[in-house]
Amino acid sequence: MVKGSSAHLTLGPVLFNWAPERWRDFYFRIADEAPLDTVCVGEVVCSKRAPFFAPYLADVVERLGSADKEVVLSTLALIMNEREMALVRETVENTDFLVEANDISTAALLKGRPHAVGPFVNIYNEGTLAYMARNGAERVTLPVELAASSIAALAKSAPAELEVMVFGRLPLAISARCYHARCHNLSRDNCQFVCEKNPDGFDVDTLDGEPFLAVNGVQALSHAYCNMAGDLSVLRDFGIRRFRLSPHSGDMVRIAEAFRAVLDNKMAPEEANAAIAGETGGMPLANGYFHGKAGAAFEGGSLM
Amino acid sequence: MTTVRRRHPELFDRLSCLENPVFLIDPVDLPLVFILRPGAAAASLTAARNADGIGATATVRGPLMALMGLLEGTSDGDALFFSRSLVFEGDTEAVVALRNAVDDAEISLFEDLLSVLGPLARPARRVVGIVAGVASRAARDMEAIRSVFAAPAVRRDDIPETSLKELGGTVAPPARSGHCSQAGNRD
Amino acid sequence: MTKKLELVCPAGTPASLRAAVDAGADVVYLGFRDATNARNFPGLNFSRDELRAGLDYAHARGAHVYVTINTFPRAGDPGPWREAVDDASALGADAIILADIGLTDYAAGAHPELRRHLSVQASASNAEAIRFYKEAFGIKRAVLPRVLTIPEIAELNRKVAIETEVFVFGGLCVMAEGRCALSSYVTGESPNINGVCSPAAHVRYEEEEGRLVSRLGGYTVNAFIEGEKAGYPTLCKGRFVAGGQARYLFEEPTSLNAVHMLPELMAAGVTALKIEGRQRGRAYISQVVAAFRRAVDAAAEGLSVPREDLVAVTEGQRKTSGVYEKTWR
Repeated sequence: MVKGSSAHLTLGPVLFNWAPERWRDFYFRIADEAPLDTVCVGEVVCSKRAPFFAPYLADVVERLGSADKEVVLSTLALIMNEREMALVRETVENTDFLVEANDISTAALLKGRPHAVGPFVNIYNEGTLAYMARNGAERVTLPVELAASSIAALAKSAPAELEVMVFGRLPLAISARCYHARCHNLSRDNCQFVCEKNPDGFDVDTLDGEPFLAVNGVQALSHAYCNMAGDLSVLRDFGIRRFRLSPHSGDMVRIAEAFRAVLDNKMAPEEANAAIAGETGGMPLANGYFHGKAGAAFEGGSLM
Repeated sequence: MTTVRRRHPELFDRLSCLENPVFLIDPVDLPLVFILRPGAAAASLTAARNADGIGATATVRGPLMALMGLLEGTSDGDALFFSRSLVFEGDTEAVVALRNAVDDAEISLFEDLLSVLGPLARPARRVVGIVAGVASRAARDMEAIRSVFAAPAVRRDDIPETSLKELGGTVAPPARSGHCSQAGNRD
Repeated sequence: MTKKLELVCPAGTPASLRAAVDAGADVVYLGFRDATNARNFPGLNFSRDELRAGLDYAHARGAHVYVTINTFPRAGDPGPWREAVDDASALGADAIILADIGLTDYAAGAHPELRRHLSVQASASNAEAIRFYKEAFGIKRAVLPRVLTIPEIAELNRKVAIETEVFVFGGLCVMAEGRCALSSYVTGESPNINGVCSPAAHVRYEEEEGRLVSRLGGYTVNAFIEGEKAGYPTLCKGRFVAGGQARYLFEEPTSLNAVHMLPELMAAGVTALKIEGRQRGRAYISQVVAAFRRAVDAAAEGLSVPREDLVAVTEGQRKTSGVYEKTWR
């Protein structure tokens, strides 16, 4: 826990289907070593995966708590049937932790009680933000495709604390159909959990062999890694105080340390970029949305 | 000369968000091309022997029948493209705008294309008249249409430069300013 | 006696509106010519005057007009979206179709008498979400996302007392609607913000080595060999390489056609059927609307639904029942 800093670092939920033990050990190490304030735990992408992590959830939450990290319980982004709704309802009803709604139905269940709203709920403007705040949202992670001007306008109105995703593959779309299964000529109902084979998603290239996207079960992510280390100071000037890192198989402790160091003015963004590139195997970086461009673009310099 | 703009102001209104577009309409089975310039200053519709030096914003190329269907609005542009009857080149947005504009105008733009042929248009219009007739769908006779254009007087190589110049019609600017799609505006 | 399904048909231009009404549409839905709706394509959509004339035309023939205002207003600039709501109300639209919570809240407050429908772009895919919109903003009808199977639709109708509208024909969003940033990832323009998906301005078709290559924002989305059916380079209908194999990873370039499912949709408690395609031409509108008019009338009489051949106007000239069949997933 980093005391006395006005900038909060959050670790978003693991979006991928990691082996349960790996998932547990990842969070244990994060608890013990990473300079993070808040850690999100919970399945967001596919309800079929949730049972695998359930046996370890209590241990993970306890370890994070004893390391003085705030725990937020993340929930499903796409809820299509009663079984999935029941999964979310169980999380909402049986916890004192802050719950993060990733679907409007979950925000409805959390009405009148302090909660968080994740990046999968469409909050694009002040009117919606104000409504969600009246509903009980005290913290909102903004959709990934917002440009700087929108973030600035929302930060100005700020009836809730705003958080911006600054690292990781961008969640671009979610579907009823499982693409991971489809890649293996399987259906979603009989998927054999093939998504566990790809800890950062399944590579998707164009016909020209250009790396393009990553498939994670029913989710499509960017191939490039969002990296806004160079945009942190502008975001802080807007009044943004919370920054979210999305977990990958690279060393998230090192990546968290790099962002922490930039936020504390102990490391230049360029140096952080190099450290981040080292942990992501030199993957292309992206921050185009923030700069009002295609999301895949990367602007090295700062906005202003 | 009857101008396309005067007859179909809404067409140009819908195209007004494009900056001086030049459309090349190229019936691959005919010995000539049409050049449509619906820009604000000097809208024109001309015929030419070929596309040399045109510098088109976008080109729509295809068999005459497919182009007719598109420009009359009787065929669906998307459907034609899905079947690959038509080839679009250049600025796809301009092509989409043209298709939408023509579709709304409920006109046979093709007849306008023919009208720029001046004295040559009469036999051509006769064919269009047949095609546009109630029973036209069955009556579309490609050979009949082709014969009009393949007549010696209209063969690409035989069109004299002077008559090509005469074919160009310059028309008045639009009576009202158009609406534009906001698609290009970014924050 | 089951109530006859309402047929809700698209129009991108006044000519298409007239074509839809003439072909038997109960309702025509349309948008203004700006970024306030999710078909903000060049040369498409309605001016205020055109809407006024369209309303006159439709109302004179017993048809209704719904105005789609289903993008998400830009932060710091709610004006165009609120004006769209105000103008739809002033001109006498029969309903507005909304996606954004803030804008829906505005509409409910400023024009409580104007009927409000929930757009598919709101991605309300379960009973709790729909109930939220109903209770918070008095939403009368929800257009259901194309992620639900027919049993799921039936369950939803049992749980929430609200009208539901489902897509039965046209371009199929593969991703959950309103939750897709694929387009903006490569072009900077998205359905949610700009009202466009894979916008034409970023599309290029090029002939390369005997193939027709389609690119969006510089990324190759597909390539077609001579004679192969082509499609518009919408990202989710593109061909990509995964696991060493080139394939339609997300969806083949198909169109939804659920015409044979009308009896099941009626039994599931659906109120209205929606045809996609505001960007399509009059020819498409006339053909598809007339076919569905016949089908809806037959289904209401308990007759077998006529088999309608609409293959020629479908994307890639292939059709699918989509997610209504569970195997789609």
